Formats: sequence, C-alpha cells, structure tokens
Amino acid sequence: MRKYESLYIVHPDVVGEALTAMEEKFQAVLTEQQAEILKFDNWGTRKLAYPIKKQTKGCYVQTIFEASAEVIAEYERRLRLDETVLRFLTLRFEGDLSETPTEAVAALDDDIDDDIDDDDQDTED
Amino acid sequence: MATQSASRPSAPAPRRRFGRRKICRFCADKGQIIDYKDIENLKSFLSESGKIVPRRISGTCAAHQRQLAESIKNARQVALIPYAASHAVR
Repeated sequence: MRKYESLYIVHPDVVGEALTAMEEKFQAVLTEQQAEILKFDNWGTRKLAYPIKKQTKGCYVQTIFEASAEVIAEYERRLRLDETVLRFLTLRFEGDLSETPTEAVAALDDDIDDDIDDDDQDTED
Repeated sequence: MATQSASRPSAPAPRRRFGRRKICRFCADKGQIIDYKDIENLKSFLSESGKIVPRRISGTCAAHQRQLAESIKNARQVALIPYAASHAVR
C-alpha cells in the first residue's frame, strides 16, 4: 500500500450536481478496490495556463489516497475514458497530510496570470 | 590577420568571476518543500518565457534542481504553468 495523490481537471461545463456525481464516481472507483481516501479537495474552477481541448477554464479536483499499485492502472483507465476529464496526473504522495501546501494554490484561485514575472537573477556575463 | 592580432592584447586577461557564490534556496531552508502545486514558488525558477532557469543562474544544487525540474514539468502538464509564455491564455 502506498500513498498517491491524483489531480484531474474537469470540463468547465460540468457543474453542480453533475460535478458532484462525477467526483463520487471516481471516488467509488477507488473505494471499490479497497483504496482508502485520505483527503478530497475541490479547488474549484480556475483558469488553465494554456487551453486544453479548446477550454480555457477547468475545475481542479484533488484526491489523496492510499492504495496498492494495481489500483492506479484501473483508476487512470477510467479517467481516460471520461471525455469530460481534460487532464489528470497521479503521483506518489510524499510528505505529511497535515502540511500540504494546497492553500497556496487555493489563495491564487482564479487569476493565474500569463506573465511570469522575472524576479530572478540576471545572467552572469 | 597580423593587424588583427596586433590590435588585441597578446595575453587575454583571465575572465574574472565576481560576486558572491549563490546558495541553493532549498538547502538554506530545509523546511521548504518542492511541490508542483506551489506555483508561486516554482515561478521564481522560470524565465520570462517560461523556461526553467539553469542551475548556473539560480544557484540551486543538483539534487534540488532535479526535483524542481520534475515539479515544473508536472505543473505544466496539469496547466498550472504554461509550457511557453506565448501559449498562455490571454
């Protein structure tokens, strides 16, 4: 058993009940396979850094769960089948659940601006 | 050719590196974790065009630069950071 974190982007047209139904659907995929959900977080709709499937917005849903490796394959297969899932990313979860820096993203919320401010050091020569 | 070399000093002055040595931000602050969701933090390691800033400029150590690069690439994949600034949604 290992801890994983999964993030998927849902099509912005899926809202309200349809969205909760979807969240539950994917949670069920995990729980059906004896995975334990440790944290579930909906970041809400936010602007994408670049368009995906012609969409400029998307709803980010994050799940942290504990499961065996085989569960991931099935989970990702199901995500791939759903056309309203624009993108997903599953990673091994490292660190403590108590101090996940999701707040940083939540605070940013809707305005992820396109200009990356270059507050960095200048070139050497 | 002869005139050109004559105009140049025979022994070029050794290139001087000055300024203090940069230290890795993540080694200095052990509590800081590299996470793909932490956009604000990652942004300081991106150039204006959205490229990953090389180690020689940012001063990050090798181990942390690898982690950083990985996180930036993950963040790009889930559209938290643009691959190139020109691709960004206006």
